[in-house]
Amino acid sequence: MHIRDGILSPEVCAAAGLISVSAVGYSLRKLRVDLEDRAVPLTGMLAAVIFAGQMVNFPLIGLPVSGHLLGGVLAGVILGPWAGCLAITLVLIVQAVLFNDGGLLSLGANVLNMGVIGSWGGYAVYASLRKILGNNPVSAIPAAVIAAWLSVLAAAMMFCLEFGFSAGSKDFSLSGIFTLMVLYHALIGVGEALITGSILGFIFVRRPELISLSVSSGRVANVGRIVVAGMVVALAIAAFVAPFKSDFPDGLDKVAEVQGFESREVERPGLLFDDYEIPLPKRFQWSTAATSLAGLLGTCVVFAAAIALGKTARWNVASLVTDGGNAT
Amino acid sequence: MTMNPTSTALELRHLTFRYPNGRIALDDVSFCIAAGERVAVVGPSGAGKSTLLMHLNGLLPAPSVVFDEDARVFVQSLGVTKSRLREIRRQIGFLFQDPDDQLFCPTVREDVAFGPLNLGLTQAEVLNRVDRSLIAVGLPEHGPRNPAQLSTGERKRVCLAGVLACEPKMLVLDEPTSNLDPRARRHLLQILKEFSGTQIIATHDLDFAYDLCQRVLVLDAGKVQADGPAGQLMSNADLMDRHGLEVPWRLIQRPMTS
Amino acid sequence: MPPSSTIQNSFCHRIPSNWKLGLTLTVIVLASLIPLEHWPAIGILMVIVSIALCFANVTVGYLIRRLALFLPMLLVFGLSLPLSQLDNSAAWAWTVALWLRCTVSFLAGLWMIHVLPFPELLATLLRWRCPTLLVAMLSFMYRYIFILWDELARLRHARDARDFGGGSLAMRWMGNAQLIGLLLLRAMERAERTHHAMLARGWDGSVKFLGDDPRPAQ
Repeated sequence: MHIRDGILSPEVCAAAGLISVSAVGYSLRKLRVDLEDRAVPLTGMLAAVIFAGQMVNFPLIGLPVSGHLLGGVLAGVILGPWAGCLAITLVLIVQAVLFNDGGLLSLGANVLNMGVIGSWGGYAVYASLRKILGNNPVSAIPAAVIAAWLSVLAAAMMFCLEFGFSAGSKDFSLSGIFTLMVLYHALIGVGEALITGSILGFIFVRRPELISLSVSSGRVANVGRIVVAGMVVALAIAAFVAPFKSDFPDGLDKVAEVQGFESREVERPGLLFDDYEIPLPKRFQWSTAATSLAGLLGTCVVFAAAIALGKTARWNVASLVTDGGNAT
Repeated sequence: MTMNPTSTALELRHLTFRYPNGRIALDDVSFCIAAGERVAVVGPSGAGKSTLLMHLNGLLPAPSVVFDEDARVFVQSLGVTKSRLREIRRQIGFLFQDPDDQLFCPTVREDVAFGPLNLGLTQAEVLNRVDRSLIAVGLPEHGPRNPAQLSTGERKRVCLAGVLACEPKMLVLDEPTSNLDPRARRHLLQILKEFSGTQIIATHDLDFAYDLCQRVLVLDAGKVQADGPAGQLMSNADLMDRHGLEVPWRLIQRPMTS
Repeated sequence: MPPSSTIQNSFCHRIPSNWKLGLTLTVIVLASLIPLEHWPAIGILMVIVSIALCFANVTVGYLIRRLALFLPMLLVFGLSLPLSQLDNSAAWAWTVALWLRCTVSFLAGLWMIHVLPFPELLATLLRWRCPTLLVAMLSFMYRYIFILWDELARLRHARDARDFGGGSLAMRWMGNAQLIGLLLLRAMERAERTHHAMLARGWDGSVKFLGDDPRPAQ
């Protein structure tokens, strides 16, 4: 998931960096107000936990690679969107400068994808879903599960956009890379959703007060959240559409083919969309089928997990209530 | 430092504290400690020792909502209230049980400098204090070291250096010898004996308490069960047994003649 | 295990820290800006970075180990472009350029993490006007990574002592999730205690850093 130096162009890195710096600056200001003198120890510690947690291997059957926690939504659920975004940013910085895991120049893009979209955006989806599902502690876990998956996909689409602007060219199609990224992140997203849900389920049983009882309300907060959540969902859905679009030649070019005209080099706005005119050979239709299958499967798995983990939470709430609330 | 034996360093007047679940942690605790005295607070686990200590510098109740008229704890005759926290905390050096809770900077030097920096001293003065404190605890070359590379005993001494760098008038120590090997324990004892201010030490290490302190407070179930000279109280096997303690080895080997 | 600051003393370690960070970023930007046609220039950059690595006392074994982890993913990522359009030479040219750019940048980053210890990096960030709150959080996080790493190892050992190897995949996943959950709970409790320790030494939320030694040399 971490973008390396050399993959994105310096211009895209600079633009992403600018957005990230603003977002991080804003988060710092809001956090100072929220947590005051607890900001440094709580956020620093959360970042250290996410960092350590990312190293835990979740084995997959038959594959040499393993699943890992990303932690954007987890961080947001525990300490709120500002601390969540900052915690992920801190993790990314440390990974880049201590382990060379992720580029230095592309740090801005990584923070944008995983800190802003992943944590801020993920939290917006989580909070909105919680309100829809009843704004009680039990709804937290299904909301977080779904939010985790969507945020990973949204981050993937963000990368595709960044990459499209960096490497887009009339000479070759980017659909191969897009397909790979979307498939890869669909899988990661499922893992992230399952891991996040399981961790929150455990915390909910032990220390439910860490997952706040209700998400705060307020006109501005609500509207802002829904807007951001909507963007995240749109990005996530677009991720499954991106490789598709590469297959459909532009209407104009189709006409030119049929009429036998030479296709002239036409200046089109935005490098990304240049690719969509190049028709792919038929044998690569499987890549789009695979992508849509991944999307379907992922959706089913995630919703099943959300329901299952939510049910577990409901039982535990029931036992907490009959127990008199002594959940230590 | 000249000591005025009649001046009161610390006074508690009817301090009562309940946990959030309603359980009583401290029940009508009252005592006085004179300047320069060394007092050990002993008792079984769960007696409320740590809770008591955290009231001394206003860490409890959290966040501190004690107004002037409700003050129950008085440090140098000043009530420990929300408005006076900064001043009170300058006077009290608090050593926590787990050194890793207290050592939070990437290098030893920066951590020891934390307190003096918060006091608003100049860079040069901060660095002077850091050097002096590290020498006082016997770690003069450890400034640039990463705390993760130090032993538990060394980390404890760095924490103590960080506390001493603030030049407090009083030391409050919560289980200072836990997880220390015998050599580190002896070293700590030596450093604390050289500190001339008031000391309040919550500990399970009764030999340590007997070696360092002249006076002992026995705390059990949130109440002060006994308060008197260390030798006399700790020789009372019956009293020690009743409160989950035992007579220290030193006194068994060489019992006090009554 | 994160690298603790082993004090080394090669020629590169003695360069001022501003230069270390600046040079690394310059190399990375140059590598990205050099267009595909001038790929020999990237080759020259590669040679410069390799020489710098030698002067930083980086061993060949270390280099090979790090490259072995990095190159496979890069190869797969790069290949996905031309493999979907095998007869497109432009795609292949782009991929090769990508491999070269990324490798040079990776090596430059490796040089930097080797010669610039973390506390020195934090000081450099402060000098470059990075927000003090962010640097304070980084400093805090760095210290607690070591502690949490040990704690995670202890939790793992405790779990392994009771694990007789028969668990299903789902059970192992739940077990690992519980590990992280427990670590999180303990860490948050520790953060509260640390906050108390900070308050006890006069912390009021305003970040202050120890600068360089202004005292005259003795």
